[in-house]
Amino acid sequence: MTDVLSRRQLLERAAKGGAVLTLPGLLAACGGSSSESSGSESDKTLADTLRFSNWTLYIDNTKKGHPTLDMFKKETGTTVKYFEDINDNASFFGKIQGPLSRGQSIDRDIIVMTDNSRYPSLLIKKGWLEKLDKSAIPNIKNLQPSLQHPNWDPDRDYSLPWQSGMTGIAYNDKLTDPVLSTDDLLENPKLKGKVTLLTEMGDTMTLVMFANGDDPSKVTDATFDKALKRIQKAVDSGQVRQFTGNDYSGPLSKGDLSAAMAWSGDVVQLQADNKNLHWNVPEAGGGIWTDNMLIPKGGDAFTASTYMNFVYKPRIAALIEDYVNYICPVVGAKEELEKIDPDVAKNTLIFPTKEMLDNVVGFDSEALANQKYLEAWQNLISS
Amino acid sequence: MGFLHRHRNLTPYLLLAPGLLYLALFFVVPLCFLAYQSLESGTFDIGYSFTWAWGNYWDAIHNYRDQFIRSLEYAGIATILALVFAYPLAYWIAFRGGRWKNLLLLFIVAPFFVTYLIRTLAWETILADEGPVVGFLRSIGILDDDGRLLATGTAVVAGITYNFFPFMALPLYVSLEQIDERLIEAAQDLYASKWKAFLRVTLPLSLPGVVAGTLLTFIPAAGDFINAQLLGSSQNHMIGNVIQSKFLELTDYPAAAAMSFVLMAAILLMVAFYARLVGTEKLTG
Amino acid sequence: MSSVPLAEHAPRESLASRLWAFVKRHVLTVYAWLAFVYLMLPIAIVIAFSFNNPAGRFNYVWSGFTLDNWKNWDGVPGLSSAMFLSLEIAALASVAATVLGTLIALALVRYGFFGRSATNFLIFLPLSTPEIVLGASLLTLFLNTTIVFGFWTILIAHVMFCISFAVVTVKARLIGFDRHLEEAAMDLGANELTTFRKVTLPLIAPAILASLLLCFAISIDDFVVTYFNAGSEVTFPLFVWGAARVGAPPQVNVFGTVIFMVAVLGMVANVLVQMRRERSVA
Repeated sequence: MTDVLSRRQLLERAAKGGAVLTLPGLLAACGGSSSESSGSESDKTLADTLRFSNWTLYIDNTKKGHPTLDMFKKETGTTVKYFEDINDNASFFGKIQGPLSRGQSIDRDIIVMTDNSRYPSLLIKKGWLEKLDKSAIPNIKNLQPSLQHPNWDPDRDYSLPWQSGMTGIAYNDKLTDPVLSTDDLLENPKLKGKVTLLTEMGDTMTLVMFANGDDPSKVTDATFDKALKRIQKAVDSGQVRQFTGNDYSGPLSKGDLSAAMAWSGDVVQLQADNKNLHWNVPEAGGGIWTDNMLIPKGGDAFTASTYMNFVYKPRIAALIEDYVNYICPVVGAKEELEKIDPDVAKNTLIFPTKEMLDNVVGFDSEALANQKYLEAWQNLISS
Repeated sequence: MGFLHRHRNLTPYLLLAPGLLYLALFFVVPLCFLAYQSLESGTFDIGYSFTWAWGNYWDAIHNYRDQFIRSLEYAGIATILALVFAYPLAYWIAFRGGRWKNLLLLFIVAPFFVTYLIRTLAWETILADEGPVVGFLRSIGILDDDGRLLATGTAVVAGITYNFFPFMALPLYVSLEQIDERLIEAAQDLYASKWKAFLRVTLPLSLPGVVAGTLLTFIPAAGDFINAQLLGSSQNHMIGNVIQSKFLELTDYPAAAAMSFVLMAAILLMVAFYARLVGTEKLTG
Repeated sequence: MSSVPLAEHAPRESLASRLWAFVKRHVLTVYAWLAFVYLMLPIAIVIAFSFNNPAGRFNYVWSGFTLDNWKNWDGVPGLSSAMFLSLEIAALASVAATVLGTLIALALVRYGFFGRSATNFLIFLPLSTPEIVLGASLLTLFLNTTIVFGFWTILIAHVMFCISFAVVTVKARLIGFDRHLEEAAMDLGANELTTFRKVTLPLIAPAILASLLLCFAISIDDFVVTYFNAGSEVTFPLFVWGAARVGAPPQVNVFGTVIFMVAVLGMVANVLVQMRRERSVA
């Protein structure tokens, strides 16, 4: 190791010692614009700490902390510094693109982003991710077959699912007859003004394209326009009340909404307090997305991969799933969960049936990156 | 006399120096970078380069005129509502508050302790379609039987008014509290009715507070996006929402920067006009 | 009724006019109470729902009363540290911004100098800048230095956008301030500093307090600018926004309530101490 510190080590030291830096360190920081990330030197030693950024309340959670993280420490000796600072893909990307575009490390080994947004594929395209160290992840064989070859990372070189979720239709049976199709959602006059769609282009477009008889995983200008026009009509007529993120959950449980385009995991929680809520994959087809573990440039690929391997043990996955209640990407977790918490194991919103999985698809990732489509979409939801 | 008195010319600069230097470093410098960005062109994938792209400004004004105007409208209405609602309250605290004034001021800012999102969710509960408020409005005919308050422009304006209420109330209070009650008494001794005393004595003396309050409310409200996002439908979105989406979802940083400057220019123009209207002494003393 | 010459000052007090005066006097009070109800309504809901016992993770529908959230107030990891960080930063930022802002306000109101109107407009610029570009540009500035993201970057950002509020609030008080009192003090031999401390400062104290309260509120509630510049630190709004995605736990309500109660009790204690001091003096 030469005297010149790599950028990452510099930042690590600065973090320990505050903003006061040594002169050689300053010179190294100012002069070096290339990213000398130690992640690319395939050192096979586990780091002391693993810095893991995740969405809030997205891991097993008890008063004393996160049991699976403690178990990881016991097994490998690596402490996981866990940050719950992701609450939205776009904002998180907006924050990390600053340092990453300057070749600086963002001080993380694992981040989690959703593939119904363009950011995971954008990160790959820009070269801002480290490759997974697959030799450290033998448990990758436990990955659900349907998730093994997403179109934006066909060989899973850069990503590994953390949790999955489905996009479908939720409805309140006290306020309406079952809403089982997207057609109903968009055009049934009885639901006028009591319906919301999702702000994510990938989510909403998937359902509407399916309802049009088109394939959301292969988007063309024509199919996109057709779906867009249909949604515009529904907005203009007052059918659609709002475009929401997950803030549909309040109005849905309070009865302001009769039906909403909703994510499976949310409804699991809402159903606990409101038995009138139901969720279905729409008849014509629904969407599936995954939150993926990614290793940003400058992160320690080996240690991160070791953690990923740990999480893909069915027993560990079951423990995490017991709390998170989205869709588990690990084969074998269901069986483990039947031993600990059979109610969760039986819930088809957490372990969907083959029928459901056959009827959902991930949105075309090329279309997600198409600036024209994105602008048209933003103009629709923000007129 | 004193050092500062002898060196009169230096004093203002000495007073200004710490604050202005701070702003110069942590606001003006970032703003210059933003200005630089606003004249770039390109795409995120390929990269941006500086090309004196004045077209960004033209696009901003041309394509999003509706949202600009709507923002100024919503912010303006909310400011007027805030003024009307806050003035009597500030007056009451200033003149009738007694030793409890500070506590009452605390109650005005108390909503901010529970973060914006929680406040708004609470309002969503209060203004819910099946809730008491909407039920009452329906029964007296203001709303149709299937009318609603949420996801409308009304809810957005109401949200802005509520969330910027302290920004109006506190400056008003500050100005009102300074008024010497004996002036009002004197006016009444001279046969003025209570109302006339208010109009001729209190109100003019409180104008600096009114000006301060309206500026502190209108200016940030015009750039707000959160109220529209949570309380409005897609047709109620403000320019803040568009700038937000340009930056985050579309990663179109030059466009977001250009739009921000157009917004700032529009606001400052209105402030300049307002200053002229009110008479600059009220603004600058 | 015969009128006495002295009573010519006051209008004849008939029952009607006395009644009207009663109503008028109390209308303002009634209005003030209603206004406070309006302001506090969401807080009431927050407090109420802190006693809710939701079966799921969302706290939207009333499911039953419980004291568990209160007993278990520290049950959500990260929440209390986020809250303390927010309070710390808000306290420091409001003080710093008020100090810097008061100095600027004094200069703007009392002196004519080259660049005065420019400075006036400069003060309004931070208010008019949309938060997202403000936060992102500040992030860019920090990235070009070697400062570490965290407490200090958050604090710097908060002071920056609070200064303008402080300036405008204190200015409202300084305009119309009677300078004769200061002149009198100086005539009696006090130098500038003593005059400022003993005459000016007490008279503008309400404005200082208002500025502190306003800046504190803005700082403790800020989300966007903080998000971009917080590094790995989590403030209360950041935590809540993240948690709301999967269901804000009732402990969030508990914290909000506690902070509010502590502030109220603090103020009440202040008043009681003042009252006792006055009584002992008298």
